[in-house]
Amino acid sequence: MIGRLRWRSILRGMLLTWLLVAGMEARALQVVDDRGVTVVFAQSPQRILTVLPSLTEMVCALGQCQRLVGTDRYSNYPESVRRLPKVGGGLDPNVEAIIALKPDAVLLATSSPLAARLQSLGIRVVALEPKTHADVQRVFDVLGQLLGVTDARRVWQEIDAGVEAAARSLPQRARNLSVYFEVNDAPYAAGEASFIGETLARLGVRNIVPAVLGPFPRINPEYVVRANPDLIMVGDSGYADLARRPGWNNLAALKAGRVCVFSPEQSDVMVRPGPRMADAARLMAHCLANKAP
Amino acid sequence: MNPRGTPVALAARGVTASLDGAPVLLGIDLELAAGCWTSIVGPNGAGKSTLLKVLANLLPHEGQVTLAGQPIAEMPARMRARKLSWLGQYETSGVDLTVYDVTMLGRLPHQSWLATASALDVAAVERALRATQAWDWRARALGQLSGGERQRVLLARALAVEAEVLLMDEPLANLDPPHQADWLALVRGLAARGKTVVSVLHEISMALQGDTIVIMAQGRVQYHGAAAAAATQRALEQVFDQRITILALGAYWVAVPNQGQATSA
Amino acid sequence: MKRPPVQPDPPARRVGTVAAALLLASVVFLCLAIAVGSTGFESILMLRQDPVAWQIVVDIRAPRSLGAWLAGALLGLAGAVAQGLFRNPLADPYLLGSASGASLGVAVALVASGATPFAGEWLVQLGLTGAAFVGAVAAVLLTLLLARGVGHSLRLLLAGVVVGVVLGALGQLIMMLRPDVMLSMQAFSLGSTGFVGWSACALMAGAWIAGALVAWALASVLDGLSLGEATAISLGLPLPQLRAALIVVLALATGTAVAQTGLIAFVGLAAPHLVRSIVKTRHQNFILLSSLMGALLLLVADGLARSLVAPQELPVGVLTAVLGGGYLLWLLQRPGTRGGLL
Repeated sequence: MIGRLRWRSILRGMLLTWLLVAGMEARALQVVDDRGVTVVFAQSPQRILTVLPSLTEMVCALGQCQRLVGTDRYSNYPESVRRLPKVGGGLDPNVEAIIALKPDAVLLATSSPLAARLQSLGIRVVALEPKTHADVQRVFDVLGQLLGVTDARRVWQEIDAGVEAAARSLPQRARNLSVYFEVNDAPYAAGEASFIGETLARLGVRNIVPAVLGPFPRINPEYVVRANPDLIMVGDSGYADLARRPGWNNLAALKAGRVCVFSPEQSDVMVRPGPRMADAARLMAHCLANKAP
Repeated sequence: MNPRGTPVALAARGVTASLDGAPVLLGIDLELAAGCWTSIVGPNGAGKSTLLKVLANLLPHEGQVTLAGQPIAEMPARMRARKLSWLGQYETSGVDLTVYDVTMLGRLPHQSWLATASALDVAAVERALRATQAWDWRARALGQLSGGERQRVLLARALAVEAEVLLMDEPLANLDPPHQADWLALVRGLAARGKTVVSVLHEISMALQGDTIVIMAQGRVQYHGAAAAAATQRALEQVFDQRITILALGAYWVAVPNQGQATSA
Repeated sequence: MKRPPVQPDPPARRVGTVAAALLLASVVFLCLAIAVGSTGFESILMLRQDPVAWQIVVDIRAPRSLGAWLAGALLGLAGAVAQGLFRNPLADPYLLGSASGASLGVAVALVASGATPFAGEWLVQLGLTGAAFVGAVAAVLLTLLLARGVGHSLRLLLAGVVVGVVLGALGQLIMMLRPDVMLSMQAFSLGSTGFVGWSACALMAGAWIAGALVAWALASVLDGLSLGEATAISLGLPLPQLRAALIVVLALATGTAVAQTGLIAFVGLAAPHLVRSIVKTRHQNFILLSSLMGALLLLVADGLARSLVAPQELPVGVLTAVLGGGYLLWLLQRPGTRGGLL
């Protein structure tokens, strides 16, 4: 009889221990990144290194800028980030510099070759790459979970509301214009399926590059001439040559001056799928309102 | 045809061959005796080099070539390489190897994989280099030699194989008269020791110093006979359209070009 | 045992001296290379106390530097084999299209597997190396097919350039159709030892040992080939099989190096010439010396790439071109020795 009592207490002890451990594991931080990998942290990482500008901006948007110990060389917003140590670019990161900064977590793009190398060195890597508006929301959620920020959802809602406000601010004459957004002078265009395309769609304008061509197709300049957009959006460096392209000087948009030219800083805002998408929407809306016929 | 009645070292039966689709050899039947120095001569484009390559089994051909009675095409490559040594027209790109190393390459058929040079190999290389008077500069690189010196080294390489049959294509290229004379003595010595030497030559006078001559024209053997025989010499004069005359000069036969002769029809 | 007469001594001694010098220089520069990086010499000084410094030196700099040496050794080996096999001093793993073939292989494998090129796990690494190897072999065979054999130098080089350009274009097409691999491929074509870890080193070391052994065993074939193809056959060498074996060595060496470090040009071309300018010898020694020279070249270039503008890095391909090309240029403008290549 004593033997059976002993057995019960042992079993109970084991059950309790198991529950405790399971509970502890549940309390430990787990995030699933964009590769589908579950990354486990004992606690929320305090030293964060980002190798993608949009991720840098998102961390700061969540108010956790102070946790950043280093970024890639292209991260330049907000101002405080410029003083942080740089570890190279997305294509040529400096592994040694990264290790030297002793990060608890490294945030990078899913397409980066860095992830596996860092993991083999024992660094925790969370791969996140926002490409659409929905992605931005999702990444905010994951980051909020990772950084222990409970109101990540609110931050997103503010941004989203900002985009909506920009859309509502557009006068009627600016809606339903057809727009051509050129990303660089190869020419690569931003199609409907891209992040920029989504913003344009929410502003209520039409993109001459349909989704079926892909997010950033390299198009034939002739295509633009045939589509004859009402308005052209282009970066600063590309604008100079537009009129010199064969057949382009006859484009209605060019003749009427309906071209939105964005400076390099503004272009940065446009192309990064991140917290400044509301600013991007406002820039676009402002220009559309000005230049619409 | 076998003028001397001695064993046949190399024979071709019904051999035809083409190069790049064009027929070059149009049916060759030939028997070359052992212990004999045979020269193959003829006008340009007769197919002499091609015949030599076919005899060495270096070109695809129809018909049969036999080496000491055995079909050469069925012989294992290394066995054939030990029994037959071939010296082609100069196509070397190896300017870095020393004279010694180049000559040692002639011992490849005798060396097994990964084996270093044996005492036999070293002795054979020394004999070959001495025979071509190249021994003293055996440490020089091939690229630093003159044309004639290089030719002597390549000859040494062919000699180093110490094969029963030695086929040489234009062996006198770049050689000055003293070394041509050395070559003559060398070949005569080899034939005297029972080796078979076949040389494609442009120098008719030199060919006339040999044992037999094979005259080739337009892909066929026109004549095969002793070098000293009058019938052979008349055939020679005829194949070259009477542009040469063969004269006796002391103990030697000499071919002299006919100047002032109108070009024949 | 009677000492065999005559193997001429001076060249043999020189070969030994050169080999020893290259090895010694490699050791010296290896130590120097481990001492440089974005965190400078501090990491060495703090080795005992700071575990991060330890990790930097042992897990990052050491395999990187050794990896540079091994990749250079593979490329030098491939260059010597290529130049001997094709009897052409301009033959080089890049000029024969094998490097473009290797990158195309990696691109196809990336698309098929969705992994990144510099993964640490063995299997993925072997898979990508295998794909690079297959790509390299395919490219060289295509070049040989187009050139219809190795007889004609000009045709061979032209065919190699064509194959390189076409396969490169195919790789670019893949990148355009699948932009998700574009970033990985772009990082790959920059050419860098930045992602080389210990497993990559082990892989390269294995490939080098295998390739060097086979090439060393077949060195006499290359010597025989230098006398001309017909002569080589007349010496009883089974050319087709031996050539195939050497092409496999060429492709394995190029493919492995390219898969681990990306595209680093010029080492395979320059290393054999650099060796020739110092000592002329049989292929048995030449291949090994060329390998050691390539290794040293890339090691030094990589060290300089990391230290010249520290904490930033220069692309290592620029430095191999400057170092190797600079020396070759100097050789070219000297009054030449009679009969030498330069």
